[in-house]
Amino acid sequence: MESNRRMLEDSATAWLQQREVGPWSESDQAQLSKWLDDSTANRVTFLRLEAAWEEAGRLKALAPRFPPHTVPTPEQLRLTPATAADLVRPKNFMMSRRRWALAASLLLVVGGAGVGYWQFIGQSYRTPLGGLTSVPLKDGSSVTLNTATRIRVYMTQTQRHIELTRGEAFFDVAKDPGRPFTVTAGDKTITAIGTAFSVRRNGASLEITVTAGKVKIERDGPDSPNSAVLTAGTMAYAGPTGVTVRQKPPAEIEDTLSWRTGYLSFHDTALPGVIAEFNRYNEPEIVVEDPAVNAIQLTGKFRSTNVDALVRLLEKSFRVSARRDGNKILLSAQVPVSE
Amino acid sequence: MDGTLDTWFKREVLSHEAALMRYLRRVWPARDEVEDLRQEVYIRAYEAARRSRPAAVRPFLLTIARNLMADRQRRARIVSIEAVSDPDALNILVEEVSPERRVGAWQDLKRAIRALNQLPPKCREVVWLKRVEELPIKEIADRLRISVRTAENQVFRGMQALCATLFSDEQAHFESEHRPDQTATERQHGE
Repeated sequence: MESNRRMLEDSATAWLQQREVGPWSESDQAQLSKWLDDSTANRVTFLRLEAAWEEAGRLKALAPRFPPHTVPTPEQLRLTPATAADLVRPKNFMMSRRRWALAASLLLVVGGAGVGYWQFIGQSYRTPLGGLTSVPLKDGSSVTLNTATRIRVYMTQTQRHIELTRGEAFFDVAKDPGRPFTVTAGDKTITAIGTAFSVRRNGASLEITVTAGKVKIERDGPDSPNSAVLTAGTMAYAGPTGVTVRQKPPAEIEDTLSWRTGYLSFHDTALPGVIAEFNRYNEPEIVVEDPAVNAIQLTGKFRSTNVDALVRLLEKSFRVSARRDGNKILLSAQVPVSE
Repeated sequence: MDGTLDTWFKREVLSHEAALMRYLRRVWPARDEVEDLRQEVYIRAYEAARRSRPAAVRPFLLTIARNLMADRQRRARIVSIEAVSDPDALNILVEEVSPERRVGAWQDLKRAIRALNQLPPKCREVVWLKRVEELPIKEIADRLRISVRTAENQVFRGMQALCATLFSDEQAHFESEHRPDQTATERQHGE
């Protein structure tokens, strides 16, 4: 009886290990499903192991405290208010700030030289922090600007061109095969082919979400002329090194674009991700003072400018304490966290 | 098959494992059989929940445990029916009908840290790199200068060890009496 249970635990662990470590194919998944259906004993044994492995995933909240790929010592992992302070900001924060500034100034130089012709006919639109505006274009297309966004629109007889200087915008493109619709952001050019899509710019990298039609993304530069075609229902991340394209379920696409209606949607999103989103829209800035609260996961829909609602929810339902310090809202655990 | 039933089992049932084990150990004389009993309780609980899910999970589990022990005793013809006659055992049942004592998100994080820290050093390193950093196993093996096979074995061991310590972590149960919901939906959108 006992050895029976042990053997079962070993089999279940072997399945889980194989799935997590790989390789893992669809036929492996089918075999696992069958094995789970074979008996409730199989199923509960596997679920218990899987749940423990998932629980261990909470440790990811601590990863930003340490340099990548180094294993912290047991002492380093202790959560005390004293060690919590250094988690307020990820260590590479200053780095990324500087890189951002560099990317922006480079863009200005390149923009000044390369797109000079457009300067005379372009029209600018911008939104402040927390802003949300829809701009109808002359050709029947429309652009929705998210928070802290700046675009320049250039319309000619032969081209429709938009420059995204910063922020995020959703484009609903009117069909006009004779006049291509292009968006440039940094060194990347996105060409719409009868399309609705959004582009979000984070410094030098882009996130592109396509809801209808097709979009082509190209990167400038003689050394690496790479391009990709994105179809409806995909999201692409274009960084300095290349483009990753992923097919997403409609609900996720919908969530990603919920900002167009003034809302932010989250699905089991860890608190740092939620805060980063809110900070895009609002001042004061929310800052995590105590790493323990990073483990909180939120699901729900929030008005993007309603910081108070978020803070109230955290205080009421998650026992987070919030205090105002100048232009910041500092979050920590209500119960002092110590070993 | 049933994704939501699986989720229910992981969230609602496993969080009572420490209490269940405490109860089984207290009542069942043969210590080395307690884990088998736990397994049997889970099987019965899962199958019963397939038909209808209990409102209160802890009393449901402890009742299953009590019936299971009674069955086994009857079969084994043990005369001293400790499980049924031990007044302490019954007290535990009553005490633990109280509202679920669950812990907050950071308590869960601390529990995960404790479980990780209990792993043997090499195993701990492999688990961190796999679970937290999500590195490919080949890269983990290279970094730690071990073979891929060894790294895989450490993942295997780590999975079992985490399981053994996480759910029976007694500390977590005494730290807090209230656990807020993991998910919440904001219903008021008004300013």
